[in-house]
Amino acid sequence: MNPAGLNRRIALATMAAALLAAGTGPAIAQADKPLRLGFSMARTGMLANATPSQMNTYELWRDQVNARGGMDVGGTRRKVEFVVYDDQSRPEQAVRIYEKLITDDKVDLLLAPWGTPFHISIAPVLEKFKFPMVGNTAASVALRQVKPGYIWFPTSAIPDRISVELTAMLKTQNVKSVAVLANVLPFTKEIKNFLEPELKKAGIEIKVSTEYPPDIRDLTAVLTQVKQADVDAVLALAYPGDSVLYAKQAKELGLKSTFQFIAIGPSDAFFPKAVGKESAEGVVTIAHWAPKPEWKGSQEFYDAYVKKFGEDPDFLNSALAWMSLEILQDAVARHGLDKEKIREMINTGTFETINGKVKFDGVQNSITPTAFVQYQDAKLQIVWPSSIATGKYQPKKAW
Amino acid sequence: MPLLDTLLSGQLLFATLVTGSLYALIALGLNLVYGTMRMLNVAHGDVVVLGAYAAFWGFTLLGLSPLLAAPLVAAAGGLLGYALYRGIFRRLLATATPATAGRLEGNSLLLFFGLSIIIQNVTALVFTPNNRAYAYLSDVYRIGDLAMTGNRLAVLLVAGLTCIAIAWFLSRSAAGLAMRAVIERREAAFIVGVDVDRVQWVSFAMGFGSAALAGCLLSMLEQFSPFSGFPFTIAGFIVIILGGLGNVKAGLLAALLLGAIETYGVALTSANLRSVLLYGTFVLALLLFPNGLFAKPAVGR
Repeated sequence: MNPAGLNRRIALATMAAALLAAGTGPAIAQADKPLRLGFSMARTGMLANATPSQMNTYELWRDQVNARGGMDVGGTRRKVEFVVYDDQSRPEQAVRIYEKLITDDKVDLLLAPWGTPFHISIAPVLEKFKFPMVGNTAASVALRQVKPGYIWFPTSAIPDRISVELTAMLKTQNVKSVAVLANVLPFTKEIKNFLEPELKKAGIEIKVSTEYPPDIRDLTAVLTQVKQADVDAVLALAYPGDSVLYAKQAKELGLKSTFQFIAIGPSDAFFPKAVGKESAEGVVTIAHWAPKPEWKGSQEFYDAYVKKFGEDPDFLNSALAWMSLEILQDAVARHGLDKEKIREMINTGTFETINGKVKFDGVQNSITPTAFVQYQDAKLQIVWPSSIATGKYQPKKAW
Repeated sequence: MPLLDTLLSGQLLFATLVTGSLYALIALGLNLVYGTMRMLNVAHGDVVVLGAYAAFWGFTLLGLSPLLAAPLVAAAGGLLGYALYRGIFRRLLATATPATAGRLEGNSLLLFFGLSIIIQNVTALVFTPNNRAYAYLSDVYRIGDLAMTGNRLAVLLVAGLTCIAIAWFLSRSAAGLAMRAVIERREAAFIVGVDVDRVQWVSFAMGFGSAALAGCLLSMLEQFSPFSGFPFTIAGFIVIILGGLGNVKAGLLAALLLGAIETYGVALTSANLRSVLLYGTFVLALLLFPNGLFAKPAVGR
């Protein structure tokens, strides 16, 4: 036998096995005709670590719905099953998957993939097949350019609104100077672009303004600069990976600023585990949800999630995922699977969710205010704005 | 002059040493396998991640200190390396004739690539793609203006001492000399009676073991997921290409240089230029030493 040929075959077999391991096959329809909900999710690739809080939420919802006897489809209950494909963290893959879900798998309903670029990429597919889908984990001013009609975004964490609200919050805390550090990835870069003019307008001095690449491994040089600048607030516009790096090194260098804002990461349960509860305490981050008596079902959702997964839901992404399911559920209960009627209802209706009332104006949620949460006694509390606050902002004492 | 103060403060030196020692440890394993067998392990970073998972589960499930777990994790990594060598790569090397030797690198690259994909997907399947991290030894120690987190200090000590120990092993012990002989003159080493097969499995075991150890240490510093291995492979590549493929000691210096570029380079310019500085140095090294790359002319087969 030709040894090179053998080697090649071993290599090919290895790759084939790997591909099998990478793919997740479609679920096969059962005899009693369950309702099939399709979506793509980054199960592998660079974004896969960000998606479990959303995927978990979907699974929790499906289990609860099925335990109740199924999803209410215009009066009849039907069990729910998922048709999931791995988009390998690639938006163009998600486009192909949603086309396949609609035309080939012929799923009954669609759920959202994870992340802004994925939502934006599949919007034209939804438009083309006139298939409504409630989005969730997407946040960018670019969303407003998406043609309204078949996709909606329940989030209020849009960079321009974040900038206005964060500046207002800093003003009330009498912050005079800040350091702004931004990861150059789109969402945080976008926040920086909107935030800095807003800060200047408010007369807050930006003593340090710097950007860093996503693959940064050490922030010592940057944070030494921040420490020397002696600012009232540090606005770390970080992604989950570098949010941990920032917190750990801020502790090492002993940053004294009492207002510590970290953009993305702290809303997820891994953050306090990674940096320690004491370091997480007092950190302010982006989220517009927390369990709250006035928001029906919010405490139940929180409890059920903690019970099933043994950790807190992501206060931003899990909450948004759940909201999108509630909205879809209401529309389907009312109109069955009539896509035009579902679309009409989501376009014009007002929905009760775990985040309060939601109503869409075009693609955007027009009710939920942009908000910030803070770790207080190891729990996230909404501290801004006061209209929905569950706690009062407290300066961060120590790392 | 705040900039000058920063540069001389010792804080940057500490950061350089921590990053550098980790890079050195990662690159060392990559270099041993490449040096003795001319195989580029693109799954190296994934082995690092496996080590991190081992330390994470040991800590969260059993309350085992990652420092105590470190020798166990390294041993387990070494065992994995040994098993892979026996199971797959030994055959690949044995079947290579002078005529097909050129394909060896390509084929081993494919195998390692497959291994990388398998490790990533199996860990994602078994452990979920969740971010994992834990806080251990996170107290900060201060000496004058210098602040050091306990876990970073521990990483520096363990990684640094391991690198020095391995460098000593290579230059002093008989087994180490045999290994260096294979790295430098493979044919000649074989002729004078060096057990090449043994040298090969030892370097595989050491390569995988040191990668797993690096992962174990790293898990105290940063969060990781099944897909975070690739950047470590890349960092390892840059280090061993700067230092010279197969040249272990130069690799240690190159790792410190890389650490210095990451911290002092960023302090002097901007964090945004990190990649430019890193890859700029890399490209410059390639231009200035065009023959020091994948072909090492001194070695004949």
